[in-house]
Amino acid sequence: MSVNPLSTNPSLPQERIVLARIDNRLIHGQVLEAWVPFVQADCIVVASDEVAAKPLQKKLMAAAVPREISVIIGGLAEIAEFFSRNDSARRVLLLFPSPAAALQGYRLGIPLAELNLGNLPGGDGKRRVSCTLSFSEDDLSIFQQLEAGGVKILARCLPSDDPLDWKVLAAGGEG
Amino acid sequence: MESFTPYLLGAGMAVLLGLDRTAALQIMVSRPLVAGPLVGFVLGDPLTGLTVGMLLELLWLCRMPVGASIPHDDTQITVSATTLAIALSATIGSGAGLTLGALLIALPLGKIGQHVERAVRTQNERLPAAALARLQLGQLPAVERLHLCGLGNFALGALTTYTVIVLVGRWLILSGAPFFLDLLTTQADWIKLALVLAGVATLLQALNVRRAYGLFFGGFLLTFLLLGVLR
Amino acid sequence: MMISGTLSASLRRRLFCRSFLLQASWNFEQMQGLGALFVLSPLLRKLYQGEELQQACARHLSYFNTHPFIAPVILSGMAQLEVNGAGKEEIEEFRQLLMAPCAAMGDAFFWGGVRPFAAVVAMFFALHGSLLAPVVLLLIFNLPHLLVRIVGFSKGCELAEGVVDFLARCRLPDLAIRLKQATLILLGILCAGLTHNTLNFAALPWQWGGAIIPLVFTLGWLARHRLSPLLLALLLAALILVLPGLY
Repeated sequence: MSVNPLSTNPSLPQERIVLARIDNRLIHGQVLEAWVPFVQADCIVVASDEVAAKPLQKKLMAAAVPREISVIIGGLAEIAEFFSRNDSARRVLLLFPSPAAALQGYRLGIPLAELNLGNLPGGDGKRRVSCTLSFSEDDLSIFQQLEAGGVKILARCLPSDDPLDWKVLAAGGEG
Repeated sequence: MESFTPYLLGAGMAVLLGLDRTAALQIMVSRPLVAGPLVGFVLGDPLTGLTVGMLLELLWLCRMPVGASIPHDDTQITVSATTLAIALSATIGSGAGLTLGALLIALPLGKIGQHVERAVRTQNERLPAAALARLQLGQLPAVERLHLCGLGNFALGALTTYTVIVLVGRWLILSGAPFFLDLLTTQADWIKLALVLAGVATLLQALNVRRAYGLFFGGFLLTFLLLGVLR
Repeated sequence: MMISGTLSASLRRRLFCRSFLLQASWNFEQMQGLGALFVLSPLLRKLYQGEELQQACARHLSYFNTHPFIAPVILSGMAQLEVNGAGKEEIEEFRQLLMAPCAAMGDAFFWGGVRPFAAVVAMFFALHGSLLAPVVLLLIFNLPHLLVRIVGFSKGCELAEGVVDFLARCRLPDLAIRLKQATLILLGILCAGLTHNTLNFAALPWQWGGAIIPLVFTLGWLARHRLSPLLLALLLAALILVLPGLY
């Protein structure tokens, strides 16, 4: 399966990504109750190799979404292939579990223009930069690479929050 | 004569009902529509509490107590506004004007609740670390007590919010009463309608299903025409 | 140590009661982490001693975050895994599987569906000045609340397969949408009744109520553009207080 983002035909109806978000919890309340209606998405796409490998988790995640919204859960390569086919005009909300997955997805050809930072929990070697976000050194270099590729990265937990550029957060630290 | 007892009872209710918001049970006694009449009942005037609770109920109904987002503290607004309205009725004279005055003053003061709540949850951050230290000493009962310390923090937070709203609110009401009381009393019905409508509008926004406005106006028009024809 | 079996009834009751205090130490670091340990500790004390007890407790003292009413499913499943003598990885996998989807279902169903529905039904009583309003709210909300807690807690011991099956069959997200639709219709009826009464009281012709429609649209538009409920309420109140002065 070869995936080349440049081969997409612009005359076909575009699969529109209305929100791409990095959120370690993937499909959960903030996404379903706040973001889906805010961006009026009618399709949720989860791009995660780990989840794709676990049938139980896939089933449960799909069960958390009302029937009127379609759910597609797959590995990064699978999802990149899905976007390159673009055979419908659905409004897609795309979820990545981690910055690393987002970068890999971007390299595989998922058309990202803007990336929303939702939840990234703390842990070893991670610095808390806001209530819901913690960055590691690796994360920062990934953001740099994505931004160099033209992807705008904004931290915004809920639609009612003000969007904040990741560099402001990384420089400011906790507060 | 103004007595101190209602404020004390109000403080007790503020703690009990405040805990229901996040820390314990969550059986929704913290909802304004329940908290208001309950506080009113304890202070001897449940109907004033019902009015306060009813006008506040819809405003933050759809703000979810989820994760890191902290909603406006409508419980403490209700408790303190009800307490103020009942406690001051002896000095100012009870009525819709005073109830609405207390409510409209407590409403913006409730903003403090968000900051207090954030402080409480930040304060609680020390608990897991402390618990781990105790665990390494093999003191499991102490760990359980640390968890319950969180309850204490939440209770303290509720009390703080309540006290601030009541203190500042009481001063504002007493010094402002001559100016707004009559006006509020004459406009009471319209203000009640306006507050409910503000709540309805935010709900319409938050209950985001397809055709939300269609369902709402369907219900509205049908009932309204029916009521009009029957009149 | 391998003890396989079932939890005794009294122990189950203790764990269930403790689950009402799951969020007592809610914090930004571990959310309900310490709470989960608090709920499970009577069981852990029964199963382990000394060094083993410390290790068992330590592995439960970590990030835990889900909807408090669906949490009993997960907690009871974790308890069952402990009784079965499952390892750290198995328990961790079980938690990770359930936490986020359960949170999503609970938020949608309880906070998005049941709570507004219960409140709006109770508002009808409140607008009639009836003190039944709080009773109605508590009853409508707590019936599904306690049901989900109790049934969930007993389903938890069926472990991953059973729990996922159970949750998928509940179809909570779809129920939530039905409840929201019902709430919207009720809200329309409520608004109509209130407007009618207010106009009646002010001795104005009832047709004036038509003005409510553009008003609600405007307010809804303002709310959509992130004007907070607080500002919305104060703005309207101020407008009403100032308007008569302009005549």
